[in-house]
Amino acid sequence: MASYDQTDDRQSGVSLFGSKGGSSSRPALEWAQGDDGYLLRIFGDWQVRHVRGIAKEIKKLKCGTPGTGPKGLTVDMAGLSGLDTAGAMLILDMNELLKSKGFIPEIVNAREADQILFELISRHPRERGDTEVKSSMVLDLVRDLGETVLSIGRDIIEITAMIGQVTLSLLGLIIRPWRLRFTSLVHHMEHAGLKAVSIISLICFLIGAVIMQQSVEQLRAYSAEYFSIDMLGILALREVGVLLTSIMIAGRSGAAFTAEIGSMKMREEVDAMRALGIDPVETLIVPRVLALVIALPLLTFIGNIMCLAGGAFIAYQVMNIDLQSFVERLNDGVDIRHFYVGLIKTPFVALIIGIVGTLEGMRVQGSAESLGTHVRASVVKSIFLVIILDAAFAMALTAMGI
Amino acid sequence: MVALEMPRSNPIIEVRHLHKQFGAQVVFEDLNLDVYEGEVLGIVGQSGGGKSVLLRCLNGLERYSAGRISFFGQDTAEMSGKDLRHVEARSGLLFQDGALFSALTVLQNIQVPMREHISLPKNIMDELAYLKLSLVGLPANAAHKYPSELSGGMRKRAGLARALALDPKIVFLDEPTAGLDPIGANEFDMLIRDLQRTLGLTVFMVTHDLDSIFAICDRVAVLADRKIVRHGSPAELTKDPGHPWIKSYFCGERGRKAQSTAKDTAT
Repeated sequence: MASYDQTDDRQSGVSLFGSKGGSSSRPALEWAQGDDGYLLRIFGDWQVRHVRGIAKEIKKLKCGTPGTGPKGLTVDMAGLSGLDTAGAMLILDMNELLKSKGFIPEIVNAREADQILFELISRHPRERGDTEVKSSMVLDLVRDLGETVLSIGRDIIEITAMIGQVTLSLLGLIIRPWRLRFTSLVHHMEHAGLKAVSIISLICFLIGAVIMQQSVEQLRAYSAEYFSIDMLGILALREVGVLLTSIMIAGRSGAAFTAEIGSMKMREEVDAMRALGIDPVETLIVPRVLALVIALPLLTFIGNIMCLAGGAFIAYQVMNIDLQSFVERLNDGVDIRHFYVGLIKTPFVALIIGIVGTLEGMRVQGSAESLGTHVRASVVKSIFLVIILDAAFAMALTAMGI
Repeated sequence: MVALEMPRSNPIIEVRHLHKQFGAQVVFEDLNLDVYEGEVLGIVGQSGGGKSVLLRCLNGLERYSAGRISFFGQDTAEMSGKDLRHVEARSGLLFQDGALFSALTVLQNIQVPMREHISLPKNIMDELAYLKLSLVGLPANAAHKYPSELSGGMRKRAGLARALALDPKIVFLDEPTAGLDPIGANEFDMLIRDLQRTLGLTVFMVTHDLDSIFAICDRVAVLADRKIVRHGSPAELTKDPGHPWIKSYFCGERGRKAQSTAKDTAT
């Protein structure tokens, strides 16, 4: 309890507010050479907020190297008005520096508390424990490339595995349908489906209108603007409705799935489920994926209709075609198979978005940064895969002549 | 009541007539407390009795309805923004699970207050951070790890290193030994005691742990019935509880055990 009970005029009365306390003073060093050795006097506050000043003072110190005379150096701390670990560390560093130049420094007039501080600091290492590995840019590039390739491979394996797990769970549900989390399913259908209706309607309406307007402008040169209705019909039903809806859902619900499951993973809730014998695939993933598989075709249908509505609106505004003629033209020019081609893709797209979103969520580790990384990865990957899938369908179905 | 009459320097923190309520629920009513320089003060009380709320009030993380909290005789409510920043720089806070920033390494975490409050040359900042790391008993190779890669005990040590980064006058500890095994808890107690003695710290500690109270607290303040009902050394409170909760806390089976272990290690 020695240091505790000490009443010390320098310590007591210290205020939290440096300069207001009145005792704050700039750190300084004074070098002198006597007959029987050298003298270094330390003044002022050697504390962490004065470190820059201290470093400057040490740099300014012109001591040279000791001559042939006595090498003893007295470091006098009588003028010191405040010391903390940073200051003590710098004094010890300075002594090391002087030692390396050939002096033999010795600290005198140190207070008892300061001595304890010196002893404490000299007991602890303050060098880097490890040397940082210098890396070259070429090596970094090669390593990054390799890691990317490996991670793509890992993605393919894990997505396939997850599709397998979800399929197994779904097959299990056919045998034991009462194990389906019905409440959870409906909840996710509401959030991923119903609540997305307004934004998807708006976007599809606008894009339908834009497509219609542009094609009318272009086809007018050939006096074929009437065919823009056929074009819009095929484009909207086959591609645009599906793509717009699924990209929107990938950004909206896929990211939400990742964030929800990811934050459960961060707080070990997923592990808790496993420990309690609850299958996270059955409780967390299947309801979400199934909700999307049901909701996305419905949303796509709404998207298709709104796309056509946007077209009809422009057709009326620009070409003065009323709704009845628009629908008749659509009936004549656009075969119903285009509608089926668009819709047949949606369950597969929904499966991909749901699987990627939940899988990325399950990959989240402890930190908040990891959550951010995986949410981003989830959105990027699912949009990318949606487009790949759509292209594959387009090529295959065209080749089949549908 | 010897401890109360012991000659002490001026209190670092004075809390007077503190009143705090959440909605209709009154947490503190006329709460008074002094924290003296250089002491280890333990705050005990029932779960949900407002110990952590008191700590948060003292650190300006929670507003209070009425009363006065002053640091070095100056009311925190009347301080300017600059003065408050000085107070923040001169006091350290260790949260229950360390509350390290998960996107930063341990070393960067320790350097956050240094970057925020003062500007230091990079090499000195590194050296200082490695020193603090070693002071709290962490190996140098923990410096480049992320908080999620550390055990609970190591996270607490890293949190303590961050709290000590600017050589504070006072450190606030929120349940420092909660969640540690008995050996780890004892080591952490001894670490706090050692640092408190060598760095001349004042320690304000919210705790449940009877072992730490008997091992390192100079004084214990008991928070019950929305105020500090009693304070004194652990031994005094055991001898003369004066309040039913204190009696069951200190004179129960666990209290007696903790006290006898503390005596054994002391002799």
